[in-house]
Amino acid sequence: MKALLLSLLLVPALVLAQAPVIEISGANFRPLPLAAPAPVVQEGADKKAAQAFDAAFTYDLTASGIFQVLDRAGFTADAKEGMTAGSINFSRWADVGAESLVKVSLAQDGGALRGELRLFSVATGKEELKVSKDAPAGEPRQLAHALADALYRHFTREASPFLSRITYVRKAGANRDVYVADWDGMGAQALTKGGTHILPTLSPSGQVAFTSYRKNRPDIYVQTPGGEAKALVTDGQMATGIAYSPDGKRIAYALAEGESAQIYVAAADGSGAKAITDTPYGLNTSPTWSPDGKRIAFVSNRGGSPQVYVMNADGSGVKRLTFQGNYNQTPDWSPRGDLIAFTARDERNAFDLFTVNVDTGKVTRLTQDQGNNEEPTFSPNGRLIMFSSNRNGAAHLWVMTSDGNNQVPLPMEKGNWLTPDWGTAPAAK
Amino acid sequence: MGMGGGKGGGGRTTMSEINVTPMVDVMLVLLIIFMVTAPLIQQGVKVNLPETKAAPVEATEKKVVLSIDAGRKVYIGDAEVALEELETKLAANAKAQADKEVYLHADRDVPYGVVVEVMAAAQRAGISNVGMITEPATGSKASNSGKAAPASSGKGKPKEAKR
Repeated sequence: MKALLLSLLLVPALVLAQAPVIEISGANFRPLPLAAPAPVVQEGADKKAAQAFDAAFTYDLTASGIFQVLDRAGFTADAKEGMTAGSINFSRWADVGAESLVKVSLAQDGGALRGELRLFSVATGKEELKVSKDAPAGEPRQLAHALADALYRHFTREASPFLSRITYVRKAGANRDVYVADWDGMGAQALTKGGTHILPTLSPSGQVAFTSYRKNRPDIYVQTPGGEAKALVTDGQMATGIAYSPDGKRIAYALAEGESAQIYVAAADGSGAKAITDTPYGLNTSPTWSPDGKRIAFVSNRGGSPQVYVMNADGSGVKRLTFQGNYNQTPDWSPRGDLIAFTARDERNAFDLFTVNVDTGKVTRLTQDQGNNEEPTFSPNGRLIMFSSNRNGAAHLWVMTSDGNNQVPLPMEKGNWLTPDWGTAPAAK
Repeated sequence: MGMGGGKGGGGRTTMSEINVTPMVDVMLVLLIIFMVTAPLIQQGVKVNLPETKAAPVEATEKKVVLSIDAGRKVYIGDAEVALEELETKLAANAKAQADKEVYLHADRDVPYGVVVEVMAAAQRAGISNVGMITEPATGSKASNSGKAAPASSGKGKPKEAKR
Protein backbone atom coordinates (compact mmCIF):
# COMPACT_ATOMS: atom_id res chain seq x y z
CA MET A 1 0.00 0.00 0.00
CA LYS A 2 1.55 3.16 -1.23
CA ALA A 3 -0.88 5.69 0.16
CA LEU A 4 0.19 5.47 3.74
CA LEU A 5 3.70 4.43 4.49
CA LEU A 6 5.17 3.93 7.86
CA SER A 7 8.47 5.64 8.21
CA LEU A 8 10.55 7.42 10.73
CA LEU A 9 9.72 10.93 11.67
CA LEU A 10 11.73 13.31 13.73
CA VAL A 11 9.51 14.81 16.38
CA PRO A 12 10.36 17.66 18.74
CA ALA A 13 12.86 16.83 21.49
CA LEU A 14 14.72 14.77 18.91
CA VAL A 15 12.83 11.64 19.73
CA LEU A 16 12.42 9.24 16.88
CA ALA A 17 8.94 7.84 16.71
CA GLN A 18 6.97 5.95 14.11
CA ALA A 19 4.34 8.04 12.44
CA PRO A 20 2.42 7.74 9.21
CA VAL A 21 3.74 9.78 6.34
CA ILE A 22 1.31 10.50 3.56
CA GLU A 23 2.66 9.71 0.14
CA ILE A 24 1.12 12.61 -1.73
CA SER A 25 1.37 11.50 -5.32
CA GLY A 26 0.91 8.30 -7.27
CA ALA A 27 -1.97 6.30 -8.61
CA ASN A 28 -2.79 4.78 -5.24
CA PHE A 29 -3.03 8.06 -3.42
CA ARG A 30 -6.02 8.24 -1.12
CA PRO A 31 -6.80 11.29 1.02
CA LEU A 32 -6.60 10.57 4.73
CA PRO A 33 -10.04 10.58 6.42
CA LEU A 34 -9.61 13.19 9.10
CA ALA A 35 -12.12 14.34 11.71
CA ALA A 36 -11.62 17.95 12.74
CA PRO A 37 -14.35 18.98 15.18
CA ALA A 38 -14.91 22.66 15.92
CA PRO A 39 -12.28 24.11 18.27
CA VAL A 40 -12.91 24.10 21.97
CA VAL A 41 -13.09 27.74 23.04
CA GLN A 42 -11.70 28.33 26.51
CA GLU A 43 -13.14 31.02 28.72
CA GLY A 44 -11.95 34.46 27.72
CA ALA A 45 -11.38 33.60 24.05
CA ASP A 46 -13.48 35.44 21.51
CA LYS A 47 -16.14 33.33 19.81
CA LYS A 48 -15.90 35.29 16.56
CA ALA A 49 -12.16 34.77 16.46
CA ALA A 50 -12.79 31.07 17.01
CA GLN A 51 -15.17 30.99 14.04
CA ALA A 52 -12.63 32.74 11.81
CA PHE A 53 -9.98 30.32 13.02
CA ASP A 54 -12.22 27.35 12.31
CA ALA A 55 -13.08 28.52 8.80
CA ALA A 56 -9.42 29.05 7.86
CA PHE A 57 -8.21 25.84 9.51
CA THR A 58 -10.88 23.71 7.84
CA TYR A 59 -10.28 25.39 4.48
CA ASP A 60 -6.55 24.73 4.64
CA LEU A 61 -7.06 21.05 5.38
CA THR A 62 -9.76 20.66 2.73
CA ALA A 63 -7.91 22.47 -0.05
CA SER A 64 -4.60 20.75 0.70
CA GLY A 65 -5.81 17.72 -1.22
CA ILE A 66 -4.23 15.29 1.23
CA PHE A 67 -7.08 15.03 3.72
CA GLN A 68 -10.67 13.93 3.39
CA VAL A 69 -12.09 16.30 5.98
CA LEU A 70 -15.12 14.52 7.37
CA ASP A 71 -18.53 16.14 7.49
CA ARG A 72 -19.30 17.24 11.04
CA ALA A 73 -23.00 16.58 10.50
CA GLY A 74 -22.22 12.88 10.78
CA PHE A 75 -20.29 13.06 14.06
CA THR A 76 -21.65 11.07 16.98
CA ALA A 77 -19.06 11.92 19.62
CA ASP A 78 -20.11 13.78 22.73
CA ALA A 79 -19.82 17.51 22.07
CA LYS A 80 -18.19 17.94 25.48
CA GLU A 81 -15.57 15.27 24.87
CA GLY A 82 -12.14 16.26 26.18
CA MET A 83 -8.82 16.98 24.49
CA THR A 84 -6.80 14.10 25.93
CA ALA A 85 -6.61 10.50 24.78
CA GLY A 86 -8.12 9.24 28.04
CA SER A 87 -11.24 11.31 27.61
CA ILE A 88 -11.87 10.51 23.95
CA ASN A 89 -14.27 7.77 22.84
CA PHE A 90 -12.30 6.63 19.79
CA SER A 91 -14.86 4.06 18.66
CA ARG A 92 -17.27 6.90 17.94
CA TRP A 93 -14.67 8.48 15.67
CA ALA A 94 -14.07 5.14 13.99
CA ASP A 95 -17.83 4.84 13.46
CA VAL A 96 -17.85 7.96 11.28
CA GLY A 97 -14.91 6.77 9.23
CA ALA A 98 -12.12 8.84 10.78
CA GLU A 99 -8.59 7.48 10.71
CA SER A 100 -7.14 10.55 12.39
CA LEU A 101 -8.69 12.99 14.80
CA VAL A 102 -7.44 16.52 15.29
CA LYS A 103 -8.58 18.55 18.25
CA VAL A 104 -7.86 22.21 18.81
CA SER A 105 -8.36 24.31 21.89
CA LEU A 106 -8.25 28.11 21.76
CA ALA A 107 -7.41 30.34 24.69
CA GLN A 108 -6.73 34.01 25.21
CA ASP A 109 -3.33 34.71 26.68
CA GLY A 110 -2.90 38.43 27.18
CA GLY A 111 -2.88 40.02 23.72
CA ALA A 112 -2.34 36.68 22.04
CA LEU A 113 -4.64 33.96 20.87
CA ARG A 114 -3.14 30.61 21.80
CA GLY A 115 -4.07 27.46 19.94
CA GLU A 116 -3.23 23.97 21.08
CA LEU A 117 -3.54 21.18 18.56
CA ARG A 118 -3.55 17.49 19.34
CA LEU A 119 -3.60 14.78 16.73
CA PHE A 120 -4.72 11.24 17.52
CA SER A 121 -4.71 7.99 15.62
CA VAL A 122 -8.25 6.69 15.86
CA ALA A 123 -7.19 3.04 15.48
CA THR A 124 -4.64 3.10 18.30
CA GLY A 125 -5.96 5.95 20.41
CA LYS A 126 -2.45 7.35 20.58
CA GLU A 127 -1.61 11.03 20.60
CA GLU A 128 0.69 11.56 17.63
CA LEU A 129 1.26 15.28 17.69
CA LYS A 130 0.86 18.09 20.16
CA VAL A 131 1.65 21.64 19.09
CA SER A 132 0.78 25.01 20.44
CA LYS A 133 1.13 28.32 18.61
CA ASP A 134 0.35 31.94 19.34
CA ALA A 135 -0.90 34.73 17.12
CA PRO A 136 -2.03 38.27 17.81
CA ALA A 137 -5.60 38.21 19.13
CA GLY A 138 -6.88 39.93 15.99
CA GLU A 139 -5.26 37.36 13.67
CA PRO A 140 -7.11 34.09 14.24
CA ARG A 141 -6.59 33.09 10.60
CA GLN A 142 -2.85 33.42 11.01
CA LEU A 143 -3.03 31.03 13.96
CA ALA A 144 -5.12 28.63 11.86
CA HIS A 145 -2.57 28.62 9.04
CA ALA A 146 0.28 28.01 11.50
CA LEU A 147 -1.46 25.03 13.15
CA ALA A 148 -2.60 23.61 9.81
CA ASP A 149 1.00 23.91 8.64
CA ALA A 150 2.21 21.92 11.66
CA LEU A 151 -0.31 19.19 10.85
CA TYR A 152 0.65 19.15 7.16
CA ARG A 153 4.32 18.89 8.03
CA HIS A 154 3.62 16.04 10.41
CA PHE A 155 2.00 13.97 7.70
CA THR A 156 4.12 14.94 4.72
CA ARG A 157 7.42 16.16 6.17
CA GLU A 158 7.15 19.06 3.75
CA ALA A 159 6.35 22.71 4.21
CA SER A 160 2.71 23.44 3.55
CA PRO A 161 1.51 26.27 1.33
CA PHE A 162 -0.61 27.67 4.18
CA LEU A 163 1.88 30.35 5.27
CA SER A 164 2.67 31.55 1.78
CA ARG A 165 1.37 34.68 0.02
CA ILE A 166 -0.22 35.32 -3.34
CA THR A 167 -0.77 38.33 -5.56
CA TYR A 168 -3.50 38.86 -8.15
CA VAL A 169 -5.45 41.45 -10.09
CA ARG A 170 -8.99 42.60 -9.50
CA LYS A 171 -10.88 43.86 -12.51
CA ALA A 172 -13.53 46.42 -11.60
CA GLY A 173 -14.97 48.57 -14.39
CA ALA A 174 -12.07 49.98 -16.38
CA ASN A 175 -9.64 49.51 -13.49
CA ARG A 176 -7.30 46.67 -12.87
CA ASP A 177 -5.65 46.76 -9.47
CA VAL A 178 -3.00 44.61 -7.88
CA TYR A 179 -3.60 42.91 -4.52
CA VAL A 180 -1.51 40.80 -2.17
CA ALA A 181 -3.09 38.34 0.24
CA ASP A 182 -2.64 35.19 2.27
CA TRP A 183 -2.59 31.95 0.31
CA ASP A 184 -6.36 31.61 0.59
CA GLY A 185 -6.97 35.09 -0.84
CA MET A 186 -8.04 36.47 2.54
CA GLY A 187 -6.56 39.49 4.29
CA ALA A 188 -6.07 41.16 0.91
CA GLN A 189 -4.34 44.51 0.57
CA ALA A 190 -4.66 46.64 -2.56
CA LEU A 191 -1.28 47.85 -3.82
CA THR A 192 -2.70 50.11 -6.51
CA LYS A 193 -5.82 52.26 -6.64
CA GLY A 194 -7.29 52.80 -10.09
CA GLY A 195 -5.75 52.59 -13.52
CA THR A 196 -4.43 49.53 -15.28
CA HIS A 197 -1.97 47.31 -13.45
CA ILE A 198 -1.56 43.73 -14.58
CA LEU A 199 0.52 40.56 -14.36
CA PRO A 200 1.77 40.87 -10.78
CA THR A 201 4.47 38.58 -9.46
CA LEU A 202 5.84 38.04 -5.96
CA SER A 203 9.56 38.20 -5.41
CA PRO A 204 11.09 35.74 -2.94
CA SER A 205 11.54 38.65 -0.52
CA GLY A 206 7.84 39.51 -0.62
CA GLN A 207 7.92 42.48 -3.00
CA VAL A 208 5.35 42.64 -5.76
CA ALA A 209 6.41 43.57 -9.28
CA PHE A 210 3.78 44.23 -11.92
CA THR A 211 3.16 45.72 -15.32
CA SER A 212 1.56 49.15 -15.11
CA TYR A 213 0.06 51.45 -17.73
CA ARG A 214 0.37 54.57 -15.59
CA LYS A 215 2.30 56.24 -18.42
CA ASN A 216 -0.05 54.89 -21.08
CA ARG A 217 2.36 52.19 -22.09
CA PRO A 218 3.36 49.07 -20.19
CA ASP A 219 6.25 49.49 -17.78
CA ILE A 220 7.35 47.31 -14.89
CA TYR A 221 7.16 48.60 -11.33
CA VAL A 222 8.01 47.01 -8.03
CA GLN A 223 6.38 47.67 -4.70
CA THR A 224 6.42 46.48 -1.12
CA PRO A 225 3.12 46.40 0.76
CA GLY A 226 2.71 49.85 2.29
CA GLY A 227 5.55 51.29 0.22
CA GLU A 228 5.73 53.37 -2.94
CA ALA A 229 5.89 51.80 -6.39
CA LYS A 230 9.35 52.10 -7.91
CA ALA A 231 10.04 51.94 -11.61
CA LEU A 232 12.01 48.83 -12.51
CA VAL A 233 11.90 48.62 -16.29
CA THR A 234 10.79 51.82 -18.01
CA ASP A 235 13.02 52.31 -20.98
CA GLY A 236 10.48 53.61 -23.40
CA GLN A 237 9.39 50.33 -24.88
CA MET A 238 6.65 47.92 -23.92
CA ALA A 239 7.82 45.81 -20.97
CA THR A 240 5.56 43.07 -19.61
CA GLY A 241 5.38 39.88 -17.62
CA ILE A 242 8.21 39.94 -15.11
CA ALA A 243 9.40 36.75 -13.38
CA TYR A 244 11.91 36.53 -10.51
CA SER A 245 14.56 33.83 -10.46
CA PRO A 246 14.09 31.48 -7.48
CA ASP A 247 17.00 33.10 -5.59
CA GLY A 248 15.50 36.53 -6.24
CA LYS A 249 18.72 37.87 -7.76
CA ARG A 250 17.60 38.08 -11.37
CA ILE A 251 14.50 39.03 -13.29
CA ALA A 252 13.26 38.00 -16.73
CA TYR A 253 10.66 39.91 -18.72
CA ALA A 254 9.51 40.56 -22.27
CA LEU A 255 10.29 43.77 -24.12
CA ALA A 256 8.46 44.60 -27.35
CA GLU A 257 10.59 45.97 -30.15
CA GLY A 258 8.66 46.89 -33.28
CA GLU A 259 6.90 43.75 -34.44
CA SER A 260 8.76 41.42 -32.19
CA ALA A 261 9.14 40.86 -28.45
CA GLN A 262 12.25 39.44 -26.86
CA ILE A 263 12.97 37.96 -23.43
CA TYR A 264 15.44 39.94 -21.34
CA VAL A 265 17.30 38.91 -18.22
CA ALA A 266 18.59 41.53 -15.77
CA ALA A 267 19.70 41.87 -12.17
CA ALA A 268 16.81 42.19 -9.70
CA ASP A 269 17.21 45.98 -9.69
CA GLY A 270 16.81 46.08 -13.48
CA SER A 271 20.46 46.75 -14.23
CA GLY A 272 22.54 44.89 -16.81
CA ALA A 273 19.57 43.89 -18.97
CA LYS A 274 20.42 41.58 -21.81
CA ALA A 275 18.21 40.07 -24.51
CA ILE A 276 18.43 36.30 -24.52
CA THR A 277 16.11 35.66 -27.47
CA ASP A 278 16.60 36.99 -30.97
CA THR A 279 13.79 36.26 -33.38
CA PRO A 280 13.33 39.14 -35.83
CA TYR A 281 9.58 38.73 -36.36
CA GLY A 282 8.56 36.51 -33.48
CA LEU A 283 6.94 37.23 -30.14
CA ASN A 284 8.71 35.79 -27.11
CA THR A 285 6.87 36.36 -23.84
CA SER A 286 5.84 34.99 -20.43
CA PRO A 287 9.18 33.81 -19.03
CA THR A 288 9.19 31.42 -16.03
CA TRP A 289 12.31 30.11 -14.26
CA SER A 290 13.22 26.53 -13.46
CA PRO A 291 13.67 25.99 -9.70
CA ASP A 292 17.46 25.75 -10.07
CA GLY A 293 17.53 29.07 -11.94
CA LYS A 294 19.42 27.51 -14.85
CA ARG A 295 16.61 27.44 -17.39
CA ILE A 296 13.70 29.57 -18.51
CA ALA A 297 10.48 28.43 -20.14
CA PHE A 298 8.62 30.95 -22.28
CA VAL A 299 6.01 31.33 -25.00
CA SER A 300 7.02 31.92 -28.59
CA ASN A 301 5.13 31.98 -31.87
CA ARG A 302 8.30 31.37 -33.90
CA GLY A 303 6.82 28.09 -35.14
CA GLY A 304 3.63 29.76 -36.36
CA SER A 305 1.50 29.50 -33.21
CA PRO A 306 2.12 30.27 -29.53
CA GLN A 307 3.87 27.30 -27.92
CA VAL A 308 5.87 26.67 -24.78
CA TYR A 309 9.65 26.54 -25.26
CA VAL A 310 12.53 25.96 -22.86
CA MET A 311 16.03 27.44 -23.02
CA ASN A 312 19.04 27.91 -20.83
CA ALA A 313 19.05 31.14 -18.80
CA ASP A 314 21.63 32.59 -21.22
CA GLY A 315 19.35 31.97 -24.21
CA SER A 316 21.18 28.91 -25.54
CA GLY A 317 19.71 25.46 -26.14
CA VAL A 318 16.18 26.47 -27.14
CA LYS A 319 13.82 23.51 -27.33
CA ARG A 320 10.13 23.39 -28.14
CA LEU A 321 8.15 21.65 -25.41
CA THR A 322 4.49 21.66 -26.51
CA PHE A 323 3.28 20.33 -29.84
CA GLN A 324 -0.43 19.75 -29.21
CA GLY A 325 -2.90 22.52 -29.94
CA ASN A 326 -2.19 25.85 -31.54
CA TYR A 327 -2.49 28.26 -28.66
CA ASN A 328 -0.47 27.45 -25.54
CA GLN A 329 0.45 30.23 -23.17
CA THR A 330 1.15 31.44 -19.59
CA PRO A 331 3.58 28.72 -18.51
CA ASP A 332 4.55 28.32 -14.86
CA TRP A 333 7.43 26.06 -13.87
CA SER A 334 6.76 23.86 -10.84
CA PRO A 335 9.08 24.41 -7.87
CA ARG A 336 9.59 20.62 -7.97
CA GLY A 337 11.10 21.05 -11.42
CA ASP A 338 9.32 18.27 -13.24
CA LEU A 339 6.25 19.99 -14.66
CA ILE A 340 5.28 23.18 -16.42
CA ALA A 341 1.62 24.17 -16.15
CA PHE A 342 0.13 26.20 -18.97
CA THR A 343 -3.12 27.46 -20.49
CA ALA A 344 -4.28 26.09 -23.83
CA ARG A 345 -7.11 27.26 -26.03
CA ASP A 346 -8.87 24.37 -27.69
CA GLU A 347 -10.86 24.14 -30.91
CA ARG A 348 -14.03 25.29 -29.09
CA ASN A 349 -12.21 28.46 -28.00
CA ALA A 350 -12.29 27.30 -24.38
CA PHE A 351 -9.25 27.85 -22.20
CA ASP A 352 -8.11 24.92 -20.10
CA LEU A 353 -5.14 23.98 -17.98
CA PHE A 354 -2.54 21.37 -18.72
CA THR A 355 0.86 20.32 -17.47
CA VAL A 356 3.75 19.18 -19.60
CA ASN A 357 6.54 17.06 -18.21
CA VAL A 358 9.80 18.90 -18.90
CA ASP A 359 11.79 15.72 -19.51
CA THR A 360 9.33 13.52 -21.34
CA GLY A 361 7.05 16.09 -23.00
CA LYS A 362 4.03 14.19 -21.72
CA VAL A 363 1.00 16.47 -21.56
CA THR A 364 -1.70 15.99 -18.90
CA ARG A 365 -5.05 17.70 -18.94
CA LEU A 366 -6.16 19.22 -15.62
CA THR A 367 -9.48 20.96 -16.38
CA GLN A 368 -12.28 20.33 -18.86
CA ASP A 369 -15.84 21.49 -19.52
CA GLN A 370 -15.90 23.93 -16.64
CA GLY A 371 -15.79 27.38 -18.19
CA ASN A 372 -12.47 29.01 -18.96
CA ASN A 373 -9.53 28.12 -16.75
CA GLU A 374 -6.41 30.23 -17.08
CA GLU A 375 -3.15 31.46 -15.61
CA PRO A 376 -1.90 28.52 -13.54
CA THR A 377 0.59 29.17 -10.75
CA PHE A 378 2.20 26.51 -8.56
CA SER A 379 2.29 26.62 -4.76
CA PRO A 380 5.78 26.99 -3.26
CA ASN A 381 5.91 23.25 -2.54
CA GLY A 382 4.64 22.39 -6.02
CA ARG A 383 1.69 20.33 -4.73
CA LEU A 384 -1.10 22.73 -5.64
CA ILE A 385 -1.97 24.91 -8.61
CA MET A 386 -3.96 28.13 -8.33
CA PHE A 387 -5.77 29.48 -11.35
CA SER A 388 -8.50 31.79 -12.50
CA SER A 389 -11.79 30.23 -13.60
CA ASN A 390 -15.11 31.70 -14.71
CA ARG A 391 -17.01 28.43 -14.27
CA ASN A 392 -19.41 30.07 -11.81
CA GLY A 393 -19.77 33.42 -13.57
CA ALA A 394 -17.20 36.13 -12.96
CA ALA A 395 -13.57 35.02 -12.86
CA HIS A 396 -12.65 33.70 -9.43
CA LEU A 397 -9.49 32.09 -8.07
CA TRP A 398 -9.46 28.35 -7.58
CA VAL A 399 -6.95 25.84 -6.31
CA MET A 400 -6.41 22.18 -7.18
CA THR A 401 -3.77 19.52 -6.72
CA SER A 402 -1.08 19.42 -9.39
CA ASP A 403 -2.79 16.44 -11.03
CA GLY A 404 -6.05 18.38 -11.40
CA ASN A 405 -7.96 16.83 -8.47
CA ASN A 406 -9.81 18.46 -5.59
CA GLN A 407 -10.68 21.74 -7.32
CA VAL A 408 -11.97 24.25 -4.76
CA PRO A 409 -12.60 27.98 -4.95
CA LEU A 410 -10.74 30.36 -2.66
CA PRO A 411 -12.96 31.55 0.21
CA MET A 412 -12.52 35.22 -0.76
CA GLU A 413 -15.52 37.36 -1.64
CA LYS A 414 -16.81 37.34 -5.19
CA GLY A 415 -15.05 39.62 -7.63
CA ASN A 416 -13.35 39.51 -10.96
CA TRP A 417 -10.05 38.02 -9.87
CA LEU A 418 -7.36 37.33 -12.43
CA THR A 419 -3.75 36.28 -13.02
CA PRO A 420 -2.74 34.90 -9.62
CA ASP A 421 0.91 34.46 -8.77
CA TRP A 422 1.94 32.30 -5.86
CA GLY A 423 5.07 33.35 -3.99
CA THR A 424 8.09 31.18 -4.63
CA ALA A 425 8.76 30.80 -0.91
CA PRO A 426 6.84 31.47 2.29
CA ALA A 427 7.44 35.15 3.00
CA ALA A 428 6.87 36.90 6.27
CA LYS A 429 4.03 39.38 6.24
CA MET B 1 -45.41 -0.63 -49.64
CA GLY B 2 -43.86 -3.51 -51.44
CA MET B 3 -40.78 -2.77 -53.42
CA GLY B 4 -41.21 -5.77 -55.60
CA GLY B 5 -38.31 -7.36 -53.93
CA GLY B 6 -39.68 -10.87 -53.78
CA LYS B 7 -38.43 -13.25 -56.40
CA GLY B 8 -41.21 -14.75 -58.38
CA GLY B 9 -43.90 -13.21 -56.22
CA GLY B 10 -43.54 -15.37 -53.15
CA GLY B 11 -45.63 -12.91 -51.15
CA ARG B 12 -43.16 -12.33 -48.34
CA THR B 13 -42.04 -8.77 -47.85
CA THR B 14 -39.30 -7.71 -45.58
CA MET B 15 -40.45 -5.73 -42.60
CA SER B 16 -38.01 -3.71 -40.70
CA GLU B 17 -39.10 -3.07 -37.17
CA ILE B 18 -37.45 -2.05 -34.01
CA ASN B 19 -36.70 -5.20 -32.13
CA VAL B 20 -37.83 -4.47 -28.64
CA THR B 21 -36.18 -6.79 -26.21
CA PRO B 22 -38.28 -7.15 -23.12
CA MET B 23 -36.68 -5.40 -20.18
CA VAL B 24 -36.78 -8.04 -17.57
CA ASP B 25 -34.73 -8.42 -14.48
CA VAL B 26 -34.96 -4.76 -13.71
CA MET B 27 -33.96 -4.38 -10.13
CA LEU B 28 -36.49 -2.38 -8.21
CA VAL B 29 -35.47 -3.40 -4.74
CA LEU B 30 -33.15 -0.72 -3.47
CA LEU B 31 -32.45 -2.17 -0.09
CA ILE B 32 -30.64 -5.44 -0.08
CA ILE B 33 -31.00 -7.17 3.21
CA PHE B 34 -28.84 -9.97 4.46
CA MET B 35 -28.20 -11.70 7.73
CA VAL B 36 -25.14 -11.34 9.87
CA THR B 37 -24.50 -13.45 12.93
CA ALA B 38 -24.13 -11.53 16.14
CA PRO B 39 -20.85 -12.70 17.65
CA LEU B 40 -18.98 -11.12 14.75
CA ILE B 41 -19.93 -7.72 16.00
CA GLN B 42 -19.72 -6.68 19.57
CA GLN B 43 -21.56 -3.49 20.23
CA GLY B 44 -21.91 -1.40 23.33
CA VAL B 45 -25.69 -1.36 23.15
CA LYS B 46 -27.38 -4.26 24.82
CA VAL B 47 -30.16 -5.78 22.78
CA ASN B 48 -31.90 -9.08 22.89
CA LEU B 49 -31.48 -10.36 19.37
CA PRO B 50 -33.96 -12.43 17.46
CA GLU B 51 -32.84 -15.92 16.66
CA THR B 52 -32.82 -17.25 13.18
CA LYS B 53 -31.76 -20.24 11.21
CA ALA B 54 -31.03 -18.17 8.16
CA ALA B 55 -27.61 -18.76 6.69
CA PRO B 56 -25.25 -16.13 8.02
CA VAL B 57 -23.13 -13.91 5.84
CA GLU B 58 -19.48 -13.76 6.73
CA ALA B 59 -18.68 -10.27 7.90
CA THR B 60 -15.02 -9.50 7.60
CA GLU B 61 -14.84 -5.74 7.84
CA LYS B 62 -16.08 -3.45 10.52
CA LYS B 63 -19.21 -1.69 9.37
CA VAL B 64 -21.31 1.01 10.88
CA VAL B 65 -23.75 -0.66 13.27
CA LEU B 66 -27.19 0.74 13.96
CA SER B 67 -28.92 -0.53 17.07
CA ILE B 68 -32.47 -0.31 18.34
CA ASP B 69 -32.86 -1.27 21.96
CA ALA B 70 -35.96 -2.59 23.68
CA GLY B 71 -36.89 0.99 24.59
CA ARG B 72 -36.88 1.84 20.84
CA LYS B 73 -33.89 4.11 21.19
CA VAL B 74 -31.73 4.23 18.09
CA TYR B 75 -27.93 4.24 18.15
CA ILE B 76 -25.07 4.62 15.70
CA GLY B 77 -22.38 2.55 17.33
CA ASP B 78 -22.95 3.32 20.99
CA ALA B 79 -24.10 6.90 20.43
CA GLU B 80 -27.81 7.51 20.79
CA VAL B 81 -29.31 9.36 17.84
CA ALA B 82 -32.82 10.75 17.49
CA LEU B 83 -34.66 8.95 14.72
CA GLU B 84 -35.24 12.31 12.99
CA GLU B 85 -31.49 12.87 12.85
CA LEU B 86 -30.58 9.42 11.67
CA GLU B 87 -30.80 10.17 7.96
CA THR B 88 -28.59 13.27 8.27
CA LYS B 89 -26.05 11.46 10.41
CA LEU B 90 -25.82 8.55 8.00
CA ALA B 91 -25.70 10.78 4.92
CA ALA B 92 -22.70 12.60 6.43
CA ASN B 93 -21.03 9.44 7.71
CA ALA B 94 -17.97 8.78 5.53
CA LYS B 95 -17.75 5.14 6.51
CA ALA B 96 -21.39 4.32 5.84
CA GLN B 97 -21.25 6.24 2.57
CA ALA B 98 -18.06 4.54 1.43
CA ASP B 99 -19.48 1.08 2.13
CA LYS B 100 -23.11 1.88 1.26
CA GLU B 101 -23.76 -0.69 3.94
CA VAL B 102 -24.70 -0.78 7.62
CA TYR B 103 -25.56 -3.52 10.08
CA LEU B 104 -28.80 -3.35 11.99
CA HIS B 105 -28.93 -4.72 15.48
CA ALA B 106 -32.51 -4.58 16.76
CA ASP B 107 -33.97 -6.00 19.91
CA ARG B 108 -36.43 -8.79 19.29
CA ASP B 109 -39.13 -6.86 21.17
CA VAL B 110 -38.92 -3.82 18.92
CA PRO B 111 -42.02 -3.53 16.72
CA TYR B 112 -41.52 -4.19 13.06
CA GLY B 113 -42.65 -0.65 12.24
CA VAL B 114 -39.76 0.89 14.12
CA VAL B 115 -37.24 -1.33 12.35
CA VAL B 116 -38.74 -0.33 9.03
CA GLU B 117 -38.49 3.34 9.93
CA VAL B 118 -34.79 2.96 10.66
CA MET B 119 -34.25 1.05 7.45
CA ALA B 120 -36.13 3.71 5.51
CA ALA B 121 -33.93 6.42 7.03
CA ALA B 122 -30.86 4.44 5.99
CA GLN B 123 -32.24 4.08 2.49
CA ARG B 124 -32.91 7.82 2.20
CA ALA B 125 -29.33 8.42 3.34
CA GLY B 126 -28.12 6.42 0.36
CA ILE B 127 -27.38 3.15 2.15
CA SER B 128 -28.24 0.29 -0.18
CA ASN B 129 -27.32 -2.70 1.97
CA VAL B 130 -28.54 -3.46 5.44
CA GLY B 131 -27.20 -6.46 7.29
CA MET B 132 -29.58 -7.75 9.95
CA ILE B 133 -27.70 -8.94 12.98
CA THR B 134 -29.36 -11.96 14.47
CA GLU B 135 -28.58 -14.63 17.00
CA PRO B 136 -28.08 -18.05 15.46
CA ALA B 137 -30.66 -20.51 16.70
CA THR B 138 -29.38 -22.18 19.83
CA GLY B 139 -29.72 -25.92 20.28
CA SER B 140 -31.76 -27.98 17.90
CA LYS B 141 -35.34 -27.01 18.72
CA ALA B 142 -35.48 -23.32 19.04
CA SER B 143 -38.19 -23.08 16.50
CA ASN B 144 -41.32 -22.82 18.56
CA SER B 145 -42.54 -19.31 19.25
CA GLY B 146 -39.00 -17.97 19.33
CA LYS B 147 -38.82 -18.55 23.08
CA ALA B 148 -35.54 -20.36 23.24
CA ALA B 149 -33.09 -18.91 25.71
CA PRO B 150 -33.23 -15.16 26.13
CA ALA B 151 -30.04 -15.15 28.16
CA SER B 152 -28.02 -16.69 25.39
CA SER B 153 -26.66 -13.50 23.92
CA GLY B 154 -22.96 -13.90 24.60
CA LYS B 155 -22.58 -17.62 24.22
CA GLY B 156 -23.69 -20.39 22.06
CA LYS B 157 -21.04 -21.30 19.48
CA PRO B 158 -23.16 -19.91 16.69
CA LYS B 159 -21.27 -21.17 13.68
CA GLU B 160 -21.24 -24.75 14.83
CA ALA B 161 -24.88 -24.62 15.69
CA LYS B 162 -25.62 -23.38 12.21
CA ARG B 163 -23.53 -25.82 10.31
